Amino acid sequence: MTPLDRKLLRDLRRLWLQAVAVGVVLGCGIAIFVMATGMYGSLEVSRDQYYARSLMADLAGSLVRAPDRIAADLAAEPGVAGLEARASGVGLLSIEGVTEPVSARLVSLPAERRPRVNDLVLKRGRWPVATRSAEVLVNESFAEAHSIEPGQRLPVLIRGQRKIVEVTGIASSPEFVFAVAPGDILPEPRRFGVLWMNREVLGRALDLDGAFNDVVLRLQGDADRNAVIASLDAQLARYGGRGLYGRDRMLSARYLSDELSQLRTLASILPPIFLLVAVFLINVMLSRLVATERANIGLLKAFGYPNITIGAHYAKFALAFCLAAAVLGIVLGTYVGGYMASVYQAVYHLPELDFEAGPLVYLGAFVVALVAAVLGALAAVRRAVSLAPAVALAPPAPTSFRRLGEHLGQKLRALDARSRMLARRILRFPRRSATTVTGIALALALLIMSEHFPIAIERIISINFGTTQRMDVTLTFAEREHERVLREVARLPGVLQVEPLRTADVFLSAGSRREREAVLGISEGAMLNRIVSTDLEVIEPTAEGLTLSAGLVRKLNVRVGDDLRLEATDGRRVESQVRVVRIVQPFLGSAAYMERKALGRLLREPDRVDSAYLIIDAAFRDRLSTRLKEIPAIVGATFADNAERSLRQLFEQGAGFFAFMFLLFSLAMAAGVALSAARVTLGEQERDLATLRVLGFRRREASWVLLGELAVLLAVALPLGLILGAALSRWMMEQFETDLFSFPFVFDLPTYARSALFIVVAVVLATLWVRRDVHRLDLVGVLKSRE
Amino acid sequence: MTASRPPVFELRGLRKAYGEGAAAVRALRGIDLHIDPGELLVLLGPSGSGKSTLLNILGGLDRPTTGSVRFGELELSTATDAALTDYRRHHVGFVFQFYNLIASLTARENVELVTEVADAPMPAEEALGLVDLAERMTHFPAQLSGGEQQRVAIARAIAKRPSVLLCDEPTGALDVATGIRVLESILRINEQLGTTTLLITHNADIARLGDRVVRFADGLIRTVERNPARVPPSQLHW
Ligand SMILES: Nc1ncnc2c1ncn2[C@@H]1O[C@H](COP(=O)(O)OP(=O)(O)O)[C@@H](O)[C@H]1O
Ligand SMILES: [Mg+2]
Repeated sequence: MTPLDRKLLRDLRRLWLQAVAVGVVLGCGIAIFVMATGMYGSLEVSRDQYYARSLMADLAGSLVRAPDRIAADLAAEPGVAGLEARASGVGLLSIEGVTEPVSARLVSLPAERRPRVNDLVLKRGRWPVATRSAEVLVNESFAEAHSIEPGQRLPVLIRGQRKIVEVTGIASSPEFVFAVAPGDILPEPRRFGVLWMNREVLGRALDLDGAFNDVVLRLQGDADRNAVIASLDAQLARYGGRGLYGRDRMLSARYLSDELSQLRTLASILPPIFLLVAVFLINVMLSRLVATERANIGLLKAFGYPNITIGAHYAKFALAFCLAAAVLGIVLGTYVGGYMASVYQAVYHLPELDFEAGPLVYLGAFVVALVAAVLGALAAVRRAVSLAPAVALAPPAPTSFRRLGEHLGQKLRALDARSRMLARRILRFPRRSATTVTGIALALALLIMSEHFPIAIERIISINFGTTQRMDVTLTFAEREHERVLREVARLPGVLQVEPLRTADVFLSAGSRREREAVLGISEGAMLNRIVSTDLEVIEPTAEGLTLSAGLVRKLNVRVGDDLRLEATDGRRVESQVRVVRIVQPFLGSAAYMERKALGRLLREPDRVDSAYLIIDAAFRDRLSTRLKEIPAIVGATFADNAERSLRQLFEQGAGFFAFMFLLFSLAMAAGVALSAARVTLGEQERDLATLRVLGFRRREASWVLLGELAVLLAVALPLGLILGAALSRWMMEQFETDLFSFPFVFDLPTYARSALFIVVAVVLATLWVRRDVHRLDLVGVLKSRE
Repeated sequence: MTASRPPVFELRGLRKAYGEGAAAVRALRGIDLHIDPGELLVLLGPSGSGKSTLLNILGGLDRPTTGSVRFGELELSTATDAALTDYRRHHVGFVFQFYNLIASLTARENVELVTEVADAPMPAEEALGLVDLAERMTHFPAQLSGGEQQRVAIARAIAKRPSVLLCDEPTGALDVATGIRVLESILRINEQLGTTTLLITHNADIARLGDRVVRFADGLIRTVERNPARVPPSQLHW
């Protein structure tokens, strides 16, 4: 080991606190990088493998009824790799101990073979035996929500027919990673499950003897997707085909890809911010080191050490703890990633989800650490190299201060000498003060940003369930009903208010763009389910044309006043022109809206409703629930409070969990920045502080200069951090926007106050800790040294 | 010198060791000394002989390992940190080889730093006048020469009218001509204010300007000599 390397080790030991602070910040940045990138990769790989292995459908569609014999023709279409013609419907379940109506999607399983598309993964139990008619498989999250075990019997109501089925196994399917009830947009495992059962049995129960009403298919690798869709749609049209759609409209697939895109967003925007702060800290630390070692550097140069050796010495310094931080970050990131993978697996029930960052990510982590080291060390190394030996060895010139402007000077005269020290130091070193301020401000901004995510979600939820959807219960009818039914609904126990909804599954096209969307027919003066824009304006539905969500407008590339072509996929399959009359930006979902009656007229099915919103007397809740379970015409009843809980859970377990980890890292980083700021400031003031102590200033009086400087810097940094935090939050929310969710920017004063408070406390604690050094200051030692 | 007044400092059996056991450096190995009010005492001796250690103990920056140091009624060896801080604040003026001025304060402000908290200080301007720097008051340390900086340090040390002025090699970093001006300032303070002054040097010539010369070697006082007369700094050669 060369003497220089030995010096390096000693310096590292001497500056351990600084090194730890920088290491923590850099380590956190790298951990986030490893975790987010690795998690994104792992989840994507896991999903793709799952989709591939379980033959996830590329296209799906429903129809009214087609004879089984055409299935073979469909499967033989060029481009189709595999096709399942299934029977599918909705059944009402009765589960012991659950008062609310529970429904399930019923999907047929081919007899004597595994599905060719959307195959299942059997988690527990066994496959149903084809000859035993009442055997079913249940999806995992539903089974989990109700502790359903193989062997258990469940009563199911299918089209008014009660049937007892026996659960033989628990399964998962790529089709239902998230199982979403008809009419809903969110998974609610307690209320909605999936039952797979024998094809013939289900066919009979659904009145589909020798017929199917649902197709799922896989495409060959080189298939012309649009050609396949066109050809099959044409063949299915006369059987009431509603048009095939791809994974982009399969809700479950959409949730997963939303989750992935959020992870990718996080992985790409968070680490750079952490790293930026780390670069700052390395820069501060090394510059300070070089400044204190002027004489050493001069001496080394005088001894004939070449510049490159000296430059390398300080570069190595940065490198040493960057590599340490990289290792720390990788270990931490992998560990947290592993934990996160287990959480994701538990939530999504993906068959295999192992956190695997892969060599590229690890290599990336090292490269990132290296780049941070190089950027951070650059200025300091350059200064060390350019220092002339004679200058470095000359007796220390006191840092030069100049008189400030007349005006400012007057003000300063009014202060006592120590305050003047403080003010001049801050004003004299704008770059250095700015560095500290920037570091603290960034830490605060990051903290605010990481706190913002859960707040935005909370806001979405509270707006969704407080402003947009104010019903207590949503009823979904099995078939489109005449609005007469509303009178019967009103007579149900405890029902105080009823509001209908008409929905239409349509294709909207403008020029060459064609999108499948749901049009929501909302009653004029609707109170229970309203259109609410992100700026909380309640928007009345329009009768003259469609109100489109901004997301849909982008996809269709239309403007207010344009005419759209509308093709209904069911009912009378009306094809018509409709005008865009308004554009809104809702929080949840992408949709088109129209006044209910006008929509009915447009579709030439007036006075029809698909669901009803209720306000109920809470005292009648159980009685209503029990009653609802007996009405076959109602396939779903969602209680708003349950839905709210599910939505919250969905966020908490997914991106919310990540946000939580992110918050932890931000806290660690803020602490690191605080510590570093305090330590550097002390380092620079050490000599002045020792002088003050020698002159007879008490510890408290002396450390006032240190605390004062930090307090002033903090006071400047806080508002900056708050503004930066707000800007970053807004920006991040924009990055997060997906088709289904638009994230609001929320200025939540308590959060900002709490984040700011945390930073203040962190800086104060760090300062107090560092202040112990003021107390221990070796007065003689400090003053005996030249500088 | 009025012998009737009690000594400013009374030192008995003063020992100071750095570290413990076999590795301990015994910087002071038994010092007995009394220092009279108003006296100008020169501490002379080779480097490492313990002069600074003694001065630091007298200035309340450090404590002896054993033995007693009395400053009037105050026993410095057992005083609390707070008591030592107060002692420094009210009674001691320090001048070091490296001037230790606060770079962010002007000459006058460096002096005011002390006068703001002292009991009965002289105006900063007067203190700077005593070291012939009245017209450089508004300069920052970086704008002053080494000798000027050292004179600001002296002004700062004496502005509170300390009981003792402790100077550790104040001319060590200065050339002869500048050193002489600094010494003249110290001498003038001693004469005009009657401040008891201790001056460390390893230069035998400088020793001639003191009332007494204490020679150090190996942590012990070898000799204490009284100079027949003080020699003015301008007549020193080194
Ligand atoms: N803080 C310390 N730790 C250890 N040894 C010290 C310390 N300060 C001084 N010494 C030692 O004490 C002895 C006396 O030092 P000092 O009083 O500074 O001598 P002088 O001022 O006469 O040159 C020297 O051997 C020195 O190495
Ligand atoms: Mg010495």
